[in-house]
Amino acid sequence: MEISLVLTYLTTFFSLFVLYVFLVTFFKYWKSYYSDPPASKSYPYISIVIPAYNEGLYLRECLESILAVDYPKEKLEIIVVDDGSTDNTYEIAKSFSTLGVIALTKPNGGGKKASPLNFGLKFAKGEFIATMDADSYLTKNTITEMLKLFSDPDVMAVSPAVKIRPSNCFIKEIQRIEYLMILFSRRILSFMDSVPVTPGPFSMFRTKVFSIVGNFDEKNLVEDQEIALRIQSHNFKIKSSVTAEVYTEPPSKMGDLVTQRVRWQRGGMRNYWRYSSMIKPSYGDFGMYFIPLNFLSIIAFFTILSLTLYSFVSTPYYLKYIWLDSLGLGVGTFTFIWAFLFIVGTFFTYLSIKSFDDEKVKLRYILSFLFVYWYLMVCYNLLWLFKELKREPTSW
Amino acid sequence: MERKISYEVYAIAFVLSAFTFLIGIFLGGLTTNSNFSGISTELSNVSSRVDSLKVLLLFDGNSSSFCPLYISELSDLNSEIERVGYKLTYIEDVKQAQDIELKKKYFLLEAESYLLSQKAKNFCSDKSILLINFYSNKACESCKQQGSDILRVRDELHNQNISLKLFSFDGDLGSSVADAFAREYGVNSYPSVVINGKTYSGPIAPDRLGSLVRSAYYENRSSGNS
Repeated sequence: MEISLVLTYLTTFFSLFVLYVFLVTFFKYWKSYYSDPPASKSYPYISIVIPAYNEGLYLRECLESILAVDYPKEKLEIIVVDDGSTDNTYEIAKSFSTLGVIALTKPNGGGKKASPLNFGLKFAKGEFIATMDADSYLTKNTITEMLKLFSDPDVMAVSPAVKIRPSNCFIKEIQRIEYLMILFSRRILSFMDSVPVTPGPFSMFRTKVFSIVGNFDEKNLVEDQEIALRIQSHNFKIKSSVTAEVYTEPPSKMGDLVTQRVRWQRGGMRNYWRYSSMIKPSYGDFGMYFIPLNFLSIIAFFTILSLTLYSFVSTPYYLKYIWLDSLGLGVGTFTFIWAFLFIVGTFFTYLSIKSFDDEKVKLRYILSFLFVYWYLMVCYNLLWLFKELKREPTSW
Repeated sequence: MERKISYEVYAIAFVLSAFTFLIGIFLGGLTTNSNFSGISTELSNVSSRVDSLKVLLLFDGNSSSFCPLYISELSDLNSEIERVGYKLTYIEDVKQAQDIELKKKYFLLEAESYLLSQKAKNFCSDKSILLINFYSNKACESCKQQGSDILRVRDELHNQNISLKLFSFDGDLGSSVADAFAREYGVNSYPSVVINGKTYSGPIAPDRLGSLVRSAYYENRSSGNS
């Protein structure tokens, strides 16, 4: 059997297997999917740390959204850390000081977000610390919904349902679908104790976790993933909520989106590599399924890409005489397996969106997502590989 | 916390993946069978046309009225047989499926078509060059390349109004007809080509192939004129 055929079989089987693992886990925990533990009657003291660099455009709305949450204001500490902005970020933060907002400023720490985050952590007095991006917005019940998941004392961090507001911008809508799929997957991973990230837009931590695992890694490209992997490496739980909504501003230009994804991919893969020693049975599903999945996905992706390119390059000359017949003759085992893979993949996408009752996405965007997303992945994965091979210095 | 591995989830996912594959393989098998039965029908039709041509040969008529009809029918027939050959090769390439009996039947028709083409050259002074490509499907890296090169050369020559008729035989299939042709032309390695009866063993570069066919064509023409 040809090597290309064996690789095609393997990558297709792998893709199907991964999708089925997510779907089977979803149906296994179907009943618990929407039911979090009841809300606590007490209101613990919570610090929200917002690192901000040139966020003058969004900070006001961000702070207003926090001040509007259903949570006693005296139990909330809001700390804005201006990271040497050149716009009016600090002034905006200061203007909220009468409403209890603490505005701090420091010289820019080289561009990575962990530096102002750690700076803010030093001032935080809460029993829980939430980290938040200045271009993100809370809804009324975000905090109370997240606190529900802390009823388990082993839970050290909770990630919320980070969403994008509906718009008519194609790039934003594609990301909105993607975010819903990520949320759906993350909630499923939550049941496997394998949540790999505490998202930058908003995440909540039990304060004591920082004294055990340390603060954010100031050299990291994706510090919100690295801290989550570190928490996982200490065998603490991270849970993912689907009801604690946080809205964030996604890139609206293709160039910005690709830059963001290359950064995520570069930082992400480096972090998985750094924590690859967790690939052992004692780390359960996280060690034996999730971390290997990230490496295998990259291998599968480049294998599929190479096979696709190879099939174009190796198109036999005689095909031009029977190209019309070849369309029919080519329908065979792989056509059916790929059709099944496509159906299962579409079903997964459908479930992801459907699982959020209030999220309506136009069909044309869903179809575009299924086709466009592959090309986006090709773009940022190739760039990622190129930058890594070139050993290009990492930057935010 | 106590971590666990969801063995049952992975087992179910594995079984589902394998089941999906099995359904795909089963449906794929059905389509391959239907492809082969379609090609078998095509071969039967081609076979009837070959028989009609043989009848034409028995017709002892005036060559000026017989030859144009014969050559034109034969040319259509050659193209038809060639197309069937490509379809069989495509199924082999894409689906790794082979129907040996069908392929042998195809080689038989190719052999008949070759012999009928030789008759056309002898009786009707047809100037087409006959090229037999002997290849092997087993461990012959250069055979595929040779096959493509021959087609490219043929298309190039077609633009120069030189007609090249192509016949291909898989020497390792165990077809008695292919074996007989190989013996007839002294072919014992692959790839080998026979151009108007002359055998050339081993891979040939496209340029040399083109010049071999061209010189066979001009040789033909000059012998026809004399």
